[in-house]
Amino acid sequence: MLGILHELREVQLPILAVLLLGGCVTKLARAARVSSTELGLGPTALFPIRLRRPMALAVCAVECGLGVGLIVTAGRFGSGTPATLVRSGTTLLFLVATSALVEMRTIKPDVGCGCFGDFSTAPVSGRTLIRSALLAAAALSTVWLRPIQLPGGHSTAAAELVIFMLVELAFIGALSPEVGEALVRLGYSEPCELRAVPPARTLLALHRSKQWRRHAGVLSSDEPVDVWRELCWRYFVYQGTVQGREVQVIFAVSLQQRRPAVQAALVDAPTGQVLAWPAPPSRPSQVGRLLHGLAAWQGGERLGQAEPRLRQAEPRLRQGEARLQASGSLPFSTDL
Amino acid sequence: MSPRPRLGCCDRCPAAPGGTVGVLADGDPGAILAARVTRRRMFKAAVFQQATAGRPAVAAASLPAGLAGSRDLRSGFPDAEELPRAVAGTLIDVSPQVLVVGDTEETQRFTLTADATAWRGAAMEPAALRQGDHVVVRLVAGGRGVADRIWANIGRVTGIIAEHSGTRLVVDEGSTKPHQVVVIKPHSASRIMVRFPTLRPGYLIDVIGVRHGSELEALIPATSQPTYVATRPPAQPLISGRLPDQISGSATWHEPRDEPAGVLGVTYPALDPETGCLEDAAAADPHYGRMPYLAVGSTLLVRNDCTGAAAQLPVTGCAAMARLFNDRCVTCGTSPRGRVADLTLASFVALGGELERACFNATITIGG
Repeated sequence: MLGILHELREVQLPILAVLLLGGCVTKLARAARVSSTELGLGPTALFPIRLRRPMALAVCAVECGLGVGLIVTAGRFGSGTPATLVRSGTTLLFLVATSALVEMRTIKPDVGCGCFGDFSTAPVSGRTLIRSALLAAAALSTVWLRPIQLPGGHSTAAAELVIFMLVELAFIGALSPEVGEALVRLGYSEPCELRAVPPARTLLALHRSKQWRRHAGVLSSDEPVDVWRELCWRYFVYQGTVQGREVQVIFAVSLQQRRPAVQAALVDAPTGQVLAWPAPPSRPSQVGRLLHGLAAWQGGERLGQAEPRLRQAEPRLRQGEARLQASGSLPFSTDL
Repeated sequence: MSPRPRLGCCDRCPAAPGGTVGVLADGDPGAILAARVTRRRMFKAAVFQQATAGRPAVAAASLPAGLAGSRDLRSGFPDAEELPRAVAGTLIDVSPQVLVVGDTEETQRFTLTADATAWRGAAMEPAALRQGDHVVVRLVAGGRGVADRIWANIGRVTGIIAEHSGTRLVVDEGSTKPHQVVVIKPHSASRIMVRFPTLRPGYLIDVIGVRHGSELEALIPATSQPTYVATRPPAQPLISGRLPDQISGSATWHEPRDEPAGVLGVTYPALDPETGCLEDAAAADPHYGRMPYLAVGSTLLVRNDCTGAAAQLPVTGCAAMARLFNDRCVTCGTSPRGRVADLTLASFVALGGELERACFNATITIGG
């Protein structure tokens, strides 16, 4: 039992060092990114503005110094007073941090702890406090620890140390809101409700849709009279005319990136009453164009040879045309 | 046709230099706004009701909020019989029992309840109000002409400090609104500065006080000052997966600078940034609260979590400043996030808010 406790205490040194150095690096990265440490994340927000920059730099320097010190004094080098000083300093740092976080939670509940720079923007929670207090306890347990010796040839002892370390890291991870934040950033896909989508892209999707091809003939202008977006849909309203009657055509285009759905409706412009779609214009032009082209090229040798085959195909084309006309008379339709 | 859209409108257009805010066209801005709200709701209902009627394949889950059900979208707005109502005007006369309020066209008499209270910088008896005060009167729900609460000359300024000179601040409330002058007198300076320690340009301020003409004498800090400069808010935690239908946070109020008095509505912190709206351009920098994009005419069911009162309200504009605040409302517990709705004065009163308390904990449901 005592052996396990001793190994647990030994494991604390590398873990504390990694956390301190990680905290220092992420804080510096944040400071470099925003070119100011005045943004007041973490306990520095408790200080007057003129002191925030020096305080942030001082915290970084202390974390870095203690992290390096814990590693350097872990073995025989620096054992004794230097190691005790570094470990006591680490304990003091985490105790002060815990107290500052308790204070912050009361005074500025909306501010993140800033422990790991941009990853620590979530307001200080109970988990953050427990983590800080446990790290203070872990640091305290190392103050009178003898110099660490590497396991050497004892593979079992080395495996135990690794297991202890992994279990503790997992425990710290469970107490760290930053882990969730990092995982979210890795596989982040912004919900469509929050995604900024240019209207040009939505309009392009509309123009490619079956709904647009089917109903564009009704429109009297190619410019929408109203455009708005709500959640994952963008709406376009166009003026139109149906048999001399003023109408408005509303298209709703989904903001999905792939195969956006398009809905359409026809309303009476003065009253807003929903109307049935008129029958679409007939489509003989496609077949007719083909036959006219055929007639124009009758003199050509190749086309002359092809003519009998096209003449044979004409009845089938006419049947297809009739089917298209029948299917186009739906009162409304939907692209999905 | 060109795929490049020419948007025929923006949700709220910038003011002409030296002029008031133009709202799309000549005419009564309130009527135009109401027409737009109604028209968009009607269009949205038409396009999806037709689709669901003819194509069961259009799953309810794929429809916008508020349309999955079959209820009538034209109903649901608050009723004076269900919620208190706010009336604003100039105080003509007051006695312990009766209040007479007038505007340019007519006067109205209100009976005061026995426990009616008033506020003009501090709580007072209604009879202590003065003729000529601009008052906001809360009428009792269902009681025609019965008032129980009066606020006199109350004002609020929320924005970014543009200048600071002595006791005066010039505050930018967004590009569609005129700059506001805030005066912090020595007797209230300590109270303000405890919550707003940094009265420097670029920092946010939100104060409530008494209006003297175009100036606001700040008396009450409406929140705690964010620690960041308005243009550099901290990075936001990312959001993934399906967004919840309901969002809880803080509901605040604003003075009706360019809105019709008494309009029931809500300005929303996340209007579609692509509508060419200068309110958005004012806050094009990263903003704090990430919320689903909506437009003028969308509807929100706003519930006061402190009183339980709820009403379906149309979005009438962009709350460009509200989204810069990452504060919490502590009227009844601590709200889980910052400002989710900036209500018109009438809506805030109707939902049971006390104007001098600045906010109430609220839950909004998009689409109602």
